[in-house]
Amino acid sequence: MKCPRCDSENTRTMVKSPVGDVWEVYVCEVCWYSWRSTENPVVLPKFKLTEESIAALGVIPPIPPLDV
Amino acid sequence: MAKVYKDLREFLQTLEEEGQLVRVKEEVNPEPDIGAAGRAASSMPNGPAVLFENIKGYKGSVVTNVHGSWQNHALMMGMPKDTPTKEQFEELNARWDKFPVPPNVVSREEAPCKENVITEDINLFEVLPLYRINEQDGGFFISKASVISGDPDALDDFGRQNVGTYRIQVKDKDRIGIQALPMHDIAVQLAKAERKNEPLPVAIALGNNPLVTFMASTPVGYSQNEYEFVGALQDGVPTDIVRADTAEHLFVPAGAEVVLEGYIIPRVRVVEGPFGEFPGSYSGSRLQCEIQVTRITHRTDPIFENLYLGMPWTEIDYLMALNTSVPLYKQIKESFPEVVAVNAMYTHGIGVIISTKCRYGGYGKGVAMRLLSTPHGMPYSKIVIVVDEFVDPFNLEQVMWALTTRVLPHKDVTMIENAPGMPLDPSSNPAGMTTKLIIDATTPVAPEPNPRAVELLKDPVGTAEWTTIIKGLQAAMDEK
Ligand SMILES: [Zn+2]
Repeated sequence: MKCPRCDSENTRTMVKSPVGDVWEVYVCEVCWYSWRSTENPVVLPKFKLTEESIAALGVIPPIPPLDV
Repeated sequence: MAKVYKDLREFLQTLEEEGQLVRVKEEVNPEPDIGAAGRAASSMPNGPAVLFENIKGYKGSVVTNVHGSWQNHALMMGMPKDTPTKEQFEELNARWDKFPVPPNVVSREEAPCKENVITEDINLFEVLPLYRINEQDGGFFISKASVISGDPDALDDFGRQNVGTYRIQVKDKDRIGIQALPMHDIAVQLAKAERKNEPLPVAIALGNNPLVTFMASTPVGYSQNEYEFVGALQDGVPTDIVRADTAEHLFVPAGAEVVLEGYIIPRVRVVEGPFGEFPGSYSGSRLQCEIQVTRITHRTDPIFENLYLGMPWTEIDYLMALNTSVPLYKQIKESFPEVVAVNAMYTHGIGVIISTKCRYGGYGKGVAMRLLSTPHGMPYSKIVIVVDEFVDPFNLEQVMWALTTRVLPHKDVTMIENAPGMPLDPSSNPAGMTTKLIIDATTPVAPEPNPRAVELLKDPVGTAEWTTIIKGLQAAMDEK
């Protein structure tokens, strides 16, 4: 199963519906996009990610230096 | 004494009695139904809260649009539901001055939020009916949480304990992402913990007394405790809190529906977002903090309170309307007592309307400049309109009157380039830089010449009596 956002195959089932067997939620372990089996996610091109673009994302908040 | 709510349930009951809560009993899908209902309800002029009792695949219920109308906002303060916005503003200002009102610490046994405890196989989906709010969101978000954290250098300093609202993305059954923006209080505490490579304990309270949620999203000072403001806004009645189970120094609202306890994992950032935000556009993906959830306590049959946000106005705009206006008013009023009211309701204070009496010529511009040097106004406020003391800044029809009859553009419109901006404002360029626009829509006073001074119309004698007569006739017709 491919991630709708970064196309990675590194996805898994996060959880099954607590009541009945009516849906599952999947998650991508590369970009942490998650979606429900009853959705039909179409990620807009501007929100697509690659490993390179993930590495280049801004960091909020910045990580401070360690006290020595 | 105004009506005070101990918890969300008491408030929902009042909303229902006042016709400001509707129940959806039929089964709905988590997507897109709950987001769509939040959108729809907040677009209505007297939008009710919407309670979903049956969500496909889940046990519990969800309530949305709790703060999403002026009627609900007035009821939050224990006022009649038709109270005009300006009167709500004035009442908030009066109660604000009662700060601080120390909260009441109750025992664990007395706190409904401790009825049930989960410490093993934690699964947020068992407790909360999580759903996607907007289509392009990166996951299921918790948009209306009150996050409690302490100062690692002063754990016992209650004043520096922070209660704030930060957006939360669910990443796994027991792991969530949190947006800790550098300008907000939690980032100060996190930096102290991360310097020592230590986790920062947090407690996340969901489904609270509406004034707790209100204060959590109010920009008060770092050393001011939000619970002490809740007591003030309850007109002096202290609010009930209880110690968190996993962090001695943290206190949570005793009546919360759900409390997630855990810690921010130090020195780790993971992809968060995108997420549809209050300016009506998506904010993109960034690398942000994650929280490990180690314990959940919750009331029996908890209600998940969450909000829709998107193209203004939505619930969040009602929630942030007066709690942005009041602190700005207090700050400007301190220097310039002529100021009557401040309306900073538009897009979290990016647009502000100030009503003031003008002591001398050019006063309106001076008041606008004071706003632009307050902690919130300096980065956020971009368009500032100043009107006379008799114009209600919350009444846009009156403000449009002032713009059309009091503004001579070549002298009353001023632009200040290359000034601080708010990065989430999609027009700021580069993000966080903007041009300020001041519109002085006040009547000229000396020494400014006013060559065309005119006489304002007054209501004809008897207008007040005739208002009563006509209302009575209309009510009699309604009864038929
Ligand atoms: Zn992915």
